[in-house]
Amino acid sequence: MRCRRAIAAALLGAGLVACPSAMERTEGMDPSVVVAEERADYAVYADRCSKCHSLGRSLHSGITDDAFWRMYVERMRRQPGSGISEEDMQPILRFLHWYSQKQKAGG
Amino acid sequence: MMRLQTLQVGRLATASLVAHVKRATSLLPPVASLLVALVAALLGALWPGSARALDRTFAGSVQLDEHIAPGEPSTNAGTQSFYGFTTELSGKIAVDLSEHVSANVKICYGCHGFETDMAYVDLRVADELNFRVGRFSPSFGAFNLRHDPANHKLADKPLPYDMGRMLRMRDWNLGVLPSPFPDNGLEIDGTHWFGDKLQLDYAAYAVSGFKGGETGLDIDFAQSHSGSLYYVDNNNTPAGGGRVALTAKLGPRTDLTVGGSGMYGTFDPQSRLSYAIFGADVSLRIGRTNLRAEWLMRRQEFDATDQAQLKYTVPPSGGDFFVKHGAYVEMEHPLGAGVDGIVRVDGLLRLGNVAAGSPLTNDSSVLRYTIGGSYLVARGVRLKLTPELWQFSYADSSGRKVEASLHTAVAGAF
Repeated sequence: MRCRRAIAAALLGAGLVACPSAMERTEGMDPSVVVAEERADYAVYADRCSKCHSLGRSLHSGITDDAFWRMYVERMRRQPGSGISEEDMQPILRFLHWYSQKQKAGG
Repeated sequence: MMRLQTLQVGRLATASLVAHVKRATSLLPPVASLLVALVAALLGALWPGSARALDRTFAGSVQLDEHIAPGEPSTNAGTQSFYGFTTELSGKIAVDLSEHVSANVKICYGCHGFETDMAYVDLRVADELNFRVGRFSPSFGAFNLRHDPANHKLADKPLPYDMGRMLRMRDWNLGVLPSPFPDNGLEIDGTHWFGDKLQLDYAAYAVSGFKGGETGLDIDFAQSHSGSLYYVDNNNTPAGGGRVALTAKLGPRTDLTVGGSGMYGTFDPQSRLSYAIFGADVSLRIGRTNLRAEWLMRRQEFDATDQAQLKYTVPPSGGDFFVKHGAYVEMEHPLGAGVDGIVRVDGLLRLGNVAAGSPLTNDSSVLRYTIGGSYLVARGVRLKLTPELWQFSYADSSGRKVEASLHTAVAGAF
C-alpha cells in the first residue's frame, strides 16, 4: 500500500515536472513578449502585484475595460501593506491597458 | 451629458432620502435621530450615483495535498504510517458596486466541509476610513492575507497558524490562531500614505469571537467555524481587537513592513473564560525575495473547577490559564524560471496546565525545519514539495521525539 502510493506520487511529480517544456514557465508574461515601451510598466506591475498573489490571478481575470481595471487596482492598492502607491497606479494601469488590447486582438 | 444628468438625479435622490429620514425620525430621541440621519447620509453619499454596470471578478483555487510521515503511528490499522490527504477548494466573487462600495463572498471546502470564508460589504468613505460589515477574518498578523493555498508557496501554513496539517495536531489543538479565522462582525479599517514611501494601515473590530464548551480547557475551533452550529455568538459578548502596520518603500523594489496585532474575548457560554492573542510581524521584500518573521502568543483561561480533568493541581493562588507561543521565520527566493525555494523554521511552545491524559507537559514545544520547493507547471498551476523535520519535546507512544514528513501538493488558481 505504502509502496503503491509512493510510486503514484513519484509518477505524478515526474509527469508534472516533465510536461511544462511546452508550457509557460512564468506566473507573469514572458518579458520578450512585452513590447519595449511597456517593459518598464510591466516591471512595476510584476513587482507590486506579485507581493500577495500570483500574477496569473490578474492576467486570467478576463478584464478588458480600463474603468474596471482602475477599480480593481484601487481595491488592491488599499489592501494592507500592498506597497502600491498612487504613483505606482499609472504604470500598472498602462501595462494592463496594453495587455487588455493585446488580449482583445487575440494576442 | 447623460452622466451629468444621472449624477444630478442621484444627488437629488440622496437629499430627498435624507430629508425623508429626518422627518420620519423626528419622534425618536435626539441621539437615535442623529445616528439614523448619519447612517442615511452615509448610505446616500456612498450609493452609486450613476447607472454604470456592476464590475465583478471571480477567482478560485484548489490544492490537493498528500502528507506522508513514515514514522508517525497511523490510526488506520491497515497501514503503519501516517497519511493525510487533504483538499482545499475555494471560489470567490468580488463585486464593485461603486467607487465606495464593494462586496466579497468566498466559499471554501476543506476538512470540515463547506465554510463561508467571506461574506462582507465594504463601505469606504475614504482610503483612511472603511466600514467592513459581515463575515470576514478580522485583521490580525501578516500571514492571513496569504492564507489561501494559491498565495503561499509551501504546502502548509506556518505552525502558529496551523489549521490541521501539523503532526500530533490533537495534542496541540492546532496552532495559536488557526487561519483563516472568519467571524461575524464589524471592522473599521483604512490605509494612509505619507508621501510615496510610507504606508500606514490600521484596523479595529468587534466580532462574535471564538467558542468553546462550558468546562472546556481550550477553544473549540471546529465549533467556532461550523455553520452547522449556527453562525451566532455563544455568549452574547463580542470579542474585539485591532492591528497597526507600517510599510516603508526602502527602494524601487524593496519594502519593509512591521506590524502589531491584538485580540481579546471570551469563549465559554457564560463569558467567564477569556483569551487574549497578541502578535508581531516583520517582512522584508527585496525584488522577488521575501523574508518573513512572525510571533504570536495566546493567553488562554480554562475552567479549573474540576481538577480531575487536569494533569497538574491548580494552586490556590490561581494559574488557571496557559500560554501558547508560536513563531516562524522564512525566506522565499526564486531559483530559476518557475522555481522557488523556501526555507522555514517554525515552532510552538505551550506553557501551563494541560488535560489529564495529554502527552504534553506544562512546558512542551515543537520545532519544525522545512526546505521546500515550488515548481510552476503552467501559469496558475504549481507543484509543491515540502519536506519537514519535526522535533518534539516529548515522546509519542513509540518513543519518538523526531519525525520526518513530506507534503506533495498540487495547487491551482485562477
